[in-house]
Amino acid sequence: MRIGKLLLCIAFGLSSCQPQEICDNHDLPFLVVRFKTIQSSITSDTIISGVTLYGIREGKADSLLYDSLSLSRMELPLDPSHNYSNFVFSVYDLTDTLTIVHTNDIYLISYSCGFATRFTLDGIDYNQMLIDDFEIKESIIDHDLEQDEEHLWLYF
Amino acid sequence: MKNISGYIFKGLFLITLIQPLNGQDTLRTFGPRVGIDLSRIAFLFTDPAEISAELSVDVEIYKNIYPVVELGYSTTSTSSEQYHYSAGGMYGRFGADYNHFPVTGQSKHHSITTGFRYGIALFTQQAEDIIIEGGYWDDYMLDSYESSPTGHWIELVGGLKTEVVPNFFLGWSVRYKILMNPEMDPLVTPQMIPGYGRGTTDRAFGFSYSILYKIPLLIR
Repeated sequence: MRIGKLLLCIAFGLSSCQPQEICDNHDLPFLVVRFKTIQSSITSDTIISGVTLYGIREGKADSLLYDSLSLSRMELPLDPSHNYSNFVFSVYDLTDTLTIVHTNDIYLISYSCGFATRFTLDGIDYNQMLIDDFEIKESIIDHDLEQDEEHLWLYF
Repeated sequence: MKNISGYIFKGLFLITLIQPLNGQDTLRTFGPRVGIDLSRIAFLFTDPAEISAELSVDVEIYKNIYPVVELGYSTTSTSSEQYHYSAGGMYGRFGADYNHFPVTGQSKHHSITTGFRYGIALFTQQAEDIIIEGGYWDDYMLDSYESSPTGHWIELVGGLKTEVVPNFFLGWSVRYKILMNPEMDPLVTPQMIPGYGRGTTDRAFGFSYSILYKIPLLIR
């Protein structure tokens, strides 16, 4: 019986012969931001205290992504329906509006899991209340996130 | 069903082996042989279903050497909550078979062959009503995605053909296929490449079962 099924699989490539793929809804792509500082021409990681962040979503209530936390990195979800994602970025009483500009391409994760967006990071905009400078380290952002992958460095 | 198919295959082997011993007529017909792949019917019942047809032409241009052309058309479609996908197009396979079972002085012309093919598929694929999960942001619905990739592959083929009545053959073949350009569409890997099979694997097995007619242009 098992041999018969194997022969059918070889002959017709039946989908039921393939192991079922598990689709993880939590592996949405996000932008990994690392906080940096430059002292005496040496760049190093830094921890920023009192960080609050939320996205500006049209027609929807504000929902905090980070609430008064001490962070050295942030993970920002990007908006697949626009070529930009706007965030309100606050450190204690200082507030900056951070705009991430990106190009969106759809791609297929798999026929079981469907389609997703691959973002290309084109640049960022901010009003220099908090952030001194930025550097794009990796411009492609998709669900296939490597360990230790960082896309954007923000200098304070 | 299992028994019937078993008898058919045993019968094909026996006919192949016994007929040359009994043959009396040394005249043979020569000409192009046209075949239809009956196994394509089975693909109507695979998941996703594939509607396809394939025609083949081969001719013995030199002793035991058969150049082969196989032409076909194939379409498939599938739907889920997140998208509707369809693909379809033409394909051609070009190559040659070598007969390892030469029978001299017989009217029947059976063959056991091995050969190779180069395959090319020109097809379109499209996805519609694509829902992309937005997570923190809203879900995003995209109307459509469309591309027209070209697939290239090579095949190693082994098969057997039996002349059941004069100029009419039944034959089957097994194929091992190697896809040469699996990255033909880097955004959407084709679910089905006409004539090849699943685009998500760069190695594939194939099977065909054909009925063929040899047009008797020459008798000698």
